[in-house]
Amino acid sequence: MRRLPVYFLLDTSGSMYGEPIQALNNALNGMLSTLRTDAQALDSLWISIITFDREVKELVPLTELVHFQLPEILCPQSGPTHMGQGLELLHEKATAEIQKATNEQSADWRPLFFLFTDGKPSDLKLYREMIPKVKALNFASIVACAAGHLADDSILKELTDTVVHLDTADSSTLKQFFKWVSDTIDQGNKSMGTTESITLPPPPSEIHLII
Amino acid sequence: MAVVTVESPYTRKRYQYYDNGDPKRGGLKDVYFSVDKQYVVAIFREALDDNQKERLKRITGHYLQQISTKEAGDYYLNEVYRWPTDVIEWKGLTGIIVPIYAQKFFFSKGYEKNDLILGAEKNGKWFAGAKFRNPNFPLRIASSELGNWMSYLQICVNLCRGVKKMHAMGLAHSDLSYNNVLVDPVSKSACMIDLDGLVVPGLFPAEVIGTAEFIAPEVMATKHLNKSDPNRKLPRRETDLHSLPVLIYMYLLHRHPLLGGKVHDLDPETDNLLAMGAHALFIEHPTDLSNRPKVNQLSKWEQPWGDVNKLPYTLTGPYLSELFDQAFVKGLHHPAFRPAADIWEQALMKTSDLLQPCSNPACEQKWYVFDNTTQPKCPFCGQVHSGSLPVLDLYFKSAEGAYRPEQHRLMVYTNQYLFPWHVNRNILRNEKLTAADKVPAGYFVKHNDKWVLVNQTLTSLRDITEQADIPIGGFVELSAGKKILFSGEEGGRLALVTIVGEQNQTTA
Repeated sequence: MRRLPVYFLLDTSGSMYGEPIQALNNALNGMLSTLRTDAQALDSLWISIITFDREVKELVPLTELVHFQLPEILCPQSGPTHMGQGLELLHEKATAEIQKATNEQSADWRPLFFLFTDGKPSDLKLYREMIPKVKALNFASIVACAAGHLADDSILKELTDTVVHLDTADSSTLKQFFKWVSDTIDQGNKSMGTTESITLPPPPSEIHLII
Repeated sequence: MAVVTVESPYTRKRYQYYDNGDPKRGGLKDVYFSVDKQYVVAIFREALDDNQKERLKRITGHYLQQISTKEAGDYYLNEVYRWPTDVIEWKGLTGIIVPIYAQKFFFSKGYEKNDLILGAEKNGKWFAGAKFRNPNFPLRIASSELGNWMSYLQICVNLCRGVKKMHAMGLAHSDLSYNNVLVDPVSKSACMIDLDGLVVPGLFPAEVIGTAEFIAPEVMATKHLNKSDPNRKLPRRETDLHSLPVLIYMYLLHRHPLLGGKVHDLDPETDNLLAMGAHALFIEHPTDLSNRPKVNQLSKWEQPWGDVNKLPYTLTGPYLSELFDQAFVKGLHHPAFRPAADIWEQALMKTSDLLQPCSNPACEQKWYVFDNTTQPKCPFCGQVHSGSLPVLDLYFKSAEGAYRPEQHRLMVYTNQYLFPWHVNRNILRNEKLTAADKVPAGYFVKHNDKWVLVNQTLTSLRDITEQADIPIGGFVELSAGKKILFSGEEGGRLALVTIVGEQNQTTA
């Protein structure tokens, strides 16, 4: 059975402190419980979570959904947003973890990558250096989610054409967003139209999708 | 929660549903529950064109009428289909009215270890693959929900009948998959859902090409072509006859017939496109072994079903094996050779006559198909059958008067029944059977170490070997080589008894 690897790169910098990080934890937990009731997701999904603030860490390495345990995501009260370093670690991990095809062994599905941030990279130079390398990993889809007015959509547009802007990082908005993420992950299971189009499902109305 | 009232432009009937702003999202539709909880209103997210609306009108009008007024109408509408009953218009969008699912199609337990999916729909996918029934998978389905091997034979029979009926009406399903069926192994039921996209060849073309694992190779291989391209292959009757055996294979063997060990391309999407399309190859092809699953690459959850050496498709018996060959070898790239739905139905029925109960109380499958050997063995748990086992080969009277073999065999076990469709070849075992024809004609039992057939209703049962009539209430011993005439009437069958499984005793 082919795996579908999904990478989450999450901003845990100082500005997320307080309600936003709580909301993010809740929304991720909600998404995981939904996915655990979904036969298609349980069949193929592998998930990894990487966080970035001043430090970058692999919170959970690529793990099969059924075994996935989400630790509480914490964030410092202040500090920079090392998004570039985050991409760097993502690149390193994804390169190592994703099964490429050989003549003997079939490959994983092309992975999905969701980036969540409420700010902009403090290490912009590294961020820009990493973009072509990350793109070269051939993700099936990269979705960047910008939450709040401090998040910079235009910088995220350099990484991906799909930028979702959330006005706030409150609980209900994030919950809706991650509901949409799980719908996105689940697309492969649906009936396919006769006209060729692999598209994201329409986002909930409160979210601005910038394409 | 807002109550919305909508009306059908055709029947002028009114329907009321709750809109809480968060409908259940299907592939193309948003689904709302009615106020009285008797039906759902499924509204297409995109506006439909006139042709699409006309199709829905025909499905809920003409075709619904066709089913309800013909033989076994209740069986089809209550058991096999959730057929849309009406069309509504709402704010420029179109919706359909569909009866709610029967209670048996909701999990009464769900997962073995928690209640995360308690009350959820029994989507066919939960019962198709090996993972959710693997005893070590943490989120496995409760064993009380899984039924046994016989459950899946009956489930497949229902699916065959659903497809057979559509094809008889000139319709094609076009998107048959485990997602569009509900399955209840406990009551041995299956129900086809999402029936609004049916294809009427020449009139209403397909709008979906199907669900990934069930799309016919010719559709997959030409999906890049424009819809107007003459070489483009779209779903139709013959593609249903690919999806149907894929479903049957998955329910009986819990693995996919085309997803094997062969790597067609290094890019995963191209690889999948070829594996399901232009280069599709049966994983158990009798001569081309290149797509056989590699046991060392199977995930631990795919055991034991993923291992085709341990559980080859031939365990489904001679009738189904032959059809799998036709569907996945001969007919895989030649749609005209794919067996029709009623052929599958009959083969499943005949296979049920070959079932033996497994004597191992811990065996999860409980039943297996007689393997045509003198020492039958359960392929699932390895339990060897102990003691003697009568096998009845059925013969029919040809026009010239001689009895000819029918390639139909009935395995005997304690408390196995003999039914009118075994007795007389003019009685067809299908959904149209009358109540009278479902009453057993006799039963088999091992009595004082001898196998006997006890006559319950047969008026002309005769032991040909001993030249003796067997009255109702009497019995005839099943000994090796004995010939028994079930009925002297037109179509009445003769059975020849073979006894297997005695080697141990005779050589001891």
